[in-house]
Amino acid sequence: MSGQPPRWYPSTNFHSSQKGGRSLVEAELEASVAWLIGLRWLAGIGVLIVTWSVNAIFKFRISPFPLYLIGAVILLYNIIFYFTEQRFKQTSISVKGYIGLAQWQVGLDWLAMVLLFHYSGGIESPAILFFIFHIIIASIFFKPRTAYGFTIAAILLVWGTVWLEFWGILPHRPIVGFIQEPLYKNIWYVLATLFFFGATGLISAFLATSINQRLRQREEEVMELTESLQRATDRLQALNDGARTISSTLDLTQVLNRLVKNTAEAIQVDACSIRMVDATGQILEEMAAYGLSQVYLNKGPLELEKNPLAREVLSGKVVNIPDTTQTNLLQYPSEAAEEGISSMLSAPLIGKNGPMGILRAYSRETDRFSDDDGTFLSAIAAQGSIAIENALAYQAIETLDATKSQFVRMVTHELRSPVSVMRSLLRTITAGYAGGLNDQQSDILNRAQKRVDALQGLIDDLLDLAAGKVELKSHGEAEAINLEDVIVQVMERFEVIAKEKEITFEWYNQSPGVLISTKATKEGLDRIFNNLVSNAIKYTLPKGKVIVSLERIGDEAYTIIEDTGIGISMEAQSQLFQEFYRAPNAKEIEREGTGLGLAIVKDIVTHIGGRISVKSKLGKGSQFTVILPVLKE
Amino acid sequence: MDKKLILLVDDDPDVRLSLRLPLEATGYAISEAANPKEGLTAIKNSKPDLIILDVMMDSATAGFQFALDLHSEDPKSELKEYKEIPILMLTAIHGTTPLRFSPDQDYLPVQKFLEKPVEPEVLIASVKELLGE
Repeated sequence: MSGQPPRWYPSTNFHSSQKGGRSLVEAELEASVAWLIGLRWLAGIGVLIVTWSVNAIFKFRISPFPLYLIGAVILLYNIIFYFTEQRFKQTSISVKGYIGLAQWQVGLDWLAMVLLFHYSGGIESPAILFFIFHIIIASIFFKPRTAYGFTIAAILLVWGTVWLEFWGILPHRPIVGFIQEPLYKNIWYVLATLFFFGATGLISAFLATSINQRLRQREEEVMELTESLQRATDRLQALNDGARTISSTLDLTQVLNRLVKNTAEAIQVDACSIRMVDATGQILEEMAAYGLSQVYLNKGPLELEKNPLAREVLSGKVVNIPDTTQTNLLQYPSEAAEEGISSMLSAPLIGKNGPMGILRAYSRETDRFSDDDGTFLSAIAAQGSIAIENALAYQAIETLDATKSQFVRMVTHELRSPVSVMRSLLRTITAGYAGGLNDQQSDILNRAQKRVDALQGLIDDLLDLAAGKVELKSHGEAEAINLEDVIVQVMERFEVIAKEKEITFEWYNQSPGVLISTKATKEGLDRIFNNLVSNAIKYTLPKGKVIVSLERIGDEAYTIIEDTGIGISMEAQSQLFQEFYRAPNAKEIEREGTGLGLAIVKDIVTHIGGRISVKSKLGKGSQFTVILPVLKE
Repeated sequence: MDKKLILLVDDDPDVRLSLRLPLEATGYAISEAANPKEGLTAIKNSKPDLIILDVMMDSATAGFQFALDLHSEDPKSELKEYKEIPILMLTAIHGTTPLRFSPDQDYLPVQKFLEKPVEPEVLIASVKELLGE
């Protein structure tokens, strides 16, 4: 039993935050009822013990039977209350149920108290004082009106008993030997005692209820404060979570969609939207919406000129419209009414260059939004603005990159056609289809042709690089490709050249019998291994070694192309995959070369979702490792 | 034996020249057309044994359209007597068109593709292959 009496009040606006599935009020009521039941065991036992001791120890004469009966009845109905309370605990009983239970308890207690009072001598009974703490208990537990009701009932019952005994209608049951001269017939004594009893009862009730009310008020304030603190914490959490989700992507559509959804959830409203000022600066475009019907979204353009609300928000203000039927700020009031929108709250999305748009929350309730909501929406909008600006910047960069690549593709293609024709024409001469040439002419044309060939190679590489960045789709759709097949094809292609240079040219599948396929385009994979094997053979001196191996490790395919070639200096290794970079010792071996081959390889590998690395020692050889994700069966 | 006749359809006269020289040197008769329309006239004038066709001419897919018309499976096609003439198509695989090229009977009735620039040896070998020589 706790030393502090718990309290309950059937308050109309009680705190409803759930703790373990029950409200605070219910929890308090339950505890109070249990507390009363606990006290009552003592009361019942107390009555039995005192009755026994009055007779046995103090040798006063008393008729003990009724008193024992009262004690027993108290214990008996307490047992019933105990089990009722246990049952209440298991089923979810409303606040009213608990109050009913409490009122029954207090009612029965007071009846028992009156009987005890009567059987222990009426006006002469020292038990009369016990009424005081009963009054205090009632004042603590109940609303003042109920407490006064019980107090007055107690006073009337005591008065009634005393007068009935006074007039001899009820028999007087004195504790014989306790008081020498009977007082119950002494009118002055009776009047005075009843007066002071009544006054004490009412004053006690007044004091207890007033103190209790003050405490209750304090507690309500604390509850309100707790609730608003909780709300503030929830919102901070929501803001934080929202910021993280929203910033986790750079895709503008995704940013906007997450922002509207998170905002609606954080403010706990039905709908939310984002509108952004278009390029003309006159129209607000619908960018993202959550919880709004298509009909409403298609209602028509939001024109700044006709929309005072939008103008006000874009001037940097948070605008709360508590009742959409009572404002002339809306451009489409009837559409809003049809959608069931009763109130709305709008905050500006402000970027570095001024207002970008509006973040708006909608509710079916009128007067839904508080000042707190305004501050909160404004905070979300500030965060959202940053995410939107980032996404916009990223979008701009992507567009720029695509435009640049497109430009490179166009230019290169325009370059390619004439070079291609020039090369074909030259070939007809050098191959002798256009008549004979003298040696010098032939030599000059051969040199010219070599240069044109190199130019052609450069242009083709540039095109590939640009294509990779614009749309890898132009290289065909990605599909499951068996890596072994691709490598075997590449190996066959270089067999003759390797043989001419007397290079040991071998390949090993370290995971025989295991299907190692990856999702890519055949051309892409061919390009990767063609370039790497071609380089290995090109930069390996005659009688050297080029070894290719394939192995599946976990969910990745490791292809290693190893040579005993000229090697790559540390400095060159760091720049190897950069566009147009060629290592100095590579230039010595082959003067013509675009420096784009490895850049393209890296580009394709990255697109497939893999990675490439190089290990090399100058003069010893190089090892390129291509790691590609394996397609799971 | 008469020389076999090859029709070159390409809008670039330099390309036609670079094709013509090695083919003539190999012993083929050549006729030329600068666009599909001229090509059709040339086919009707004297039926070639083989057509070498550029993909991109007036439009990015003019060559495709020409091949489709010529090899139409429609029995009412007015070009049905030329249905069996093999077509060698020249493509610029690095081109800006996003279409993928590969001979496909249903999609594109073309017998062979070559990527520009074409090596004379490769050109002659392909022509011989298509003519069944």
